[in-house]
Amino acid sequence: MTKPVAALPAVWLAAGMVACACFGTVAAQNRGVDIRDPHYGEVLFHFYQQDEFTALTHLLVARQAGRVNQHAAEAELLLGGLYLSYGQMEQATQIFDRLLVETADPAVRDRAWYFIGKAHYQRGLYTQADNAFARVAGNLPDALRAEHRMLQAQSLMAQTRFDEAVALLETERSDQDWLAYARFNLGVALVRLDRHAEAARQLDSVGQLNSDDPELLALRDKANLALGFAHLQAQQGKEARAVLGRVRLNGPHANKALLGVGWADILKENYRGALTPWLELSERDLLDSAVQESLLAIPYAFSRIGANGSAAEHYVSAMANFDHEMAGLNAAIDRARSGRMIPALLSRDGKGIGRWYWQLDELPDSDDARYLYHLVANNQFQDGLRSYRDLVALREHLSAWRDKLAAFEHMVETRTLAHSQRMPAIEQRLAGVDSTVLRERRDALVRTLEQVEVSRNVVGLANEIEADQWRRLAALETNAAWESEQAATARDKHRILKGTLLWQLDRDYRYRLWQQRRTITDIEQALVETGDLESRTQFTKLNIPLQFEEYRVRIEALKPRIDAMQAQIDAVLMDQERQLQTVVAEELEKQKQRLASYRMQARFALATIYDQATVVSADSGEPQP
Amino acid sequence: MIKLFQRVTSVALVLILTQTAVSATDVKPASLDAEVQDLKGAVLDLNRELFMLEEELLYPANTQIAVFMSMDIGEFFALDSVQLELDGKSVTNYLYTEREVTALHRGGVQQLFLGNLKTGEHELVAIFTGVGPHGRDYRRGATLTFDKQIGAKFVELQISDKASKRQPEFYAREWE
Repeated sequence: MTKPVAALPAVWLAAGMVACACFGTVAAQNRGVDIRDPHYGEVLFHFYQQDEFTALTHLLVARQAGRVNQHAAEAELLLGGLYLSYGQMEQATQIFDRLLVETADPAVRDRAWYFIGKAHYQRGLYTQADNAFARVAGNLPDALRAEHRMLQAQSLMAQTRFDEAVALLETERSDQDWLAYARFNLGVALVRLDRHAEAARQLDSVGQLNSDDPELLALRDKANLALGFAHLQAQQGKEARAVLGRVRLNGPHANKALLGVGWADILKENYRGALTPWLELSERDLLDSAVQESLLAIPYAFSRIGANGSAAEHYVSAMANFDHEMAGLNAAIDRARSGRMIPALLSRDGKGIGRWYWQLDELPDSDDARYLYHLVANNQFQDGLRSYRDLVALREHLSAWRDKLAAFEHMVETRTLAHSQRMPAIEQRLAGVDSTVLRERRDALVRTLEQVEVSRNVVGLANEIEADQWRRLAALETNAAWESEQAATARDKHRILKGTLLWQLDRDYRYRLWQQRRTITDIEQALVETGDLESRTQFTKLNIPLQFEEYRVRIEALKPRIDAMQAQIDAVLMDQERQLQTVVAEELEKQKQRLASYRMQARFALATIYDQATVVSADSGEPQP
Repeated sequence: MIKLFQRVTSVALVLILTQTAVSATDVKPASLDAEVQDLKGAVLDLNRELFMLEEELLYPANTQIAVFMSMDIGEFFALDSVQLELDGKSVTNYLYTEREVTALHRGGVQQLFLGNLKTGEHELVAIFTGVGPHGRDYRRGATLTFDKQIGAKFVELQISDKASKRQPEFYAREWE
């Protein structure tokens, strides 16, 4: 099962969709089902590699060609799931609706209801989603059942029916991964409602997950982070420190955890203790809000332990850092507004369609990489970027097809030419074979053989030598001297020879008869083949040009469709790019404003320290610098 | 200074919670999203047509031969590559990625080769290379002689486990 890193249901549900389809339709466990149609297995091969676009295309083709008939219901469920994942809600819903009409199998029906509910949920139609989820009768596979519960809870949460969501999750004893996401989301929602104790219960259960799965580990970190800061807000420093201590130091949430640990120490008035995580934090990338905040928190801690000199020094250093970073942000905002940042982000992107979250270590190595790093971690940005990347990949894909079409066109032309050149020679060869004459000869042979058989005319089956001998013996009998006295010896010899020849012919009669019959069978077979060849040649002569013409027409029709679609993609891409540019620029502006605000706070704090120092110096009568 | 603490923790908490919120605001206006999805649907339809045209044109059903690769468990063999010969000619030499091997383990079936063959008798030889039991390099072959009639012919190569001998087995057979 694959889930993206972020626990943002609107985004990752679709990504998990295919995995659900898989659990529901293909495999109860890791191993797939018995594959009865190879093309269905071939679809799964792409699907398991998360190449959903190819899986979807191949499934549509296989379905149309009748190549997945032995997996009919599973193939339909998979198709619906793939459509859903690809954002084609209407087609997906149609498939599931049809399955509900056509099948009485409770397992298939449950999965169809579940997917319909999911489709509604993704469209924000929560009441309809609730209704569909309620129709699931308990025949879902385990993994899908957990996701079903999770989605039910999510739907309730989206309708702010938190008590019902809590009740639903409380009764769910399964420890499936999906439920961890639901519990996390519920915990976060409860924190926002200031229902601290209930939130803590949900988040704590996620925060103590035992797993090796990197995505679940990231979720566990997030849960501990959210719970830790909730404790901090409730002034519970000890509890906060314990929970924040569970966050992995090498994980993506380590910075905020370090910041929180420092504040937990501050709550316990352990100012020196707070400096340890904050000083570590201050060395990290300043674009991270936790790092920015540490630059203010450090001098605050110094001032609390009376080290005003160090405090002032750190405030000055913080202001310089903020200034430097703001200058960088200004340049980045300019690049974003000029439209250079998004293409740079995608300069080394792969061409797959339907991909979800990027691995952050795959970002391009450019000036903007560190800004993009923070943007890519932002779910909203990712969501918009997904469509943009899909469109770019689709444009490339269509471009490749355009090239292929040119090759196909050339191929059809060549084949047409070769066909037109080959046909005359084939026709000429066939013209030399008159099958009617051959059939007449075959019929005459059959008649002769029948006569031989009826009259048992053994001489009729004599070979050429024997027939010649027989003719010569017969000729002797008509000789004028045949009856003379002197021919008596010759007549004896003639009788013996004729008898011997007749004996031989009679002895071999049955074998020769069988041989002749077999020869006639062979001739008939050859005549059938010649007839087939003639038919095929006629068919080829008439149909191949038509087939080539059909291909040519199809190619001609497809070319403008590709061109039109590429133009459409270009137009939508421009809109999409503008949207993303706006998001990027706004996000960077927010960063800049936050830094400006921090800078102002640092300046005021520094002024306060100077004021205090001035007052102390004035009191002690020391000269001022 | 406790104000700073409260403000900072609030900011941090808000940042954490907004990143993990239950529902997200889409960055795209609904109409743009709908346009993108419509376009994706249209491209999918077009892709299906192009794919069918390609197959009909390059591998017509009458002469088509497809060789599929599958795995049944496959615990005793880590697949690296498969070399395929048809009538003594090498037609494919395929090197597998980890992702592809995992897909095979999960029950996916790879279309290793798609081509054309005349009617009549043909011989297919598959050479499997990988790592066998006890981490030893492994190279095994499987042969199939088959009769190609008019119509598509599907051949399956399969790697399975012979549990009794704790060895992998390699098959090549016609897909019925």
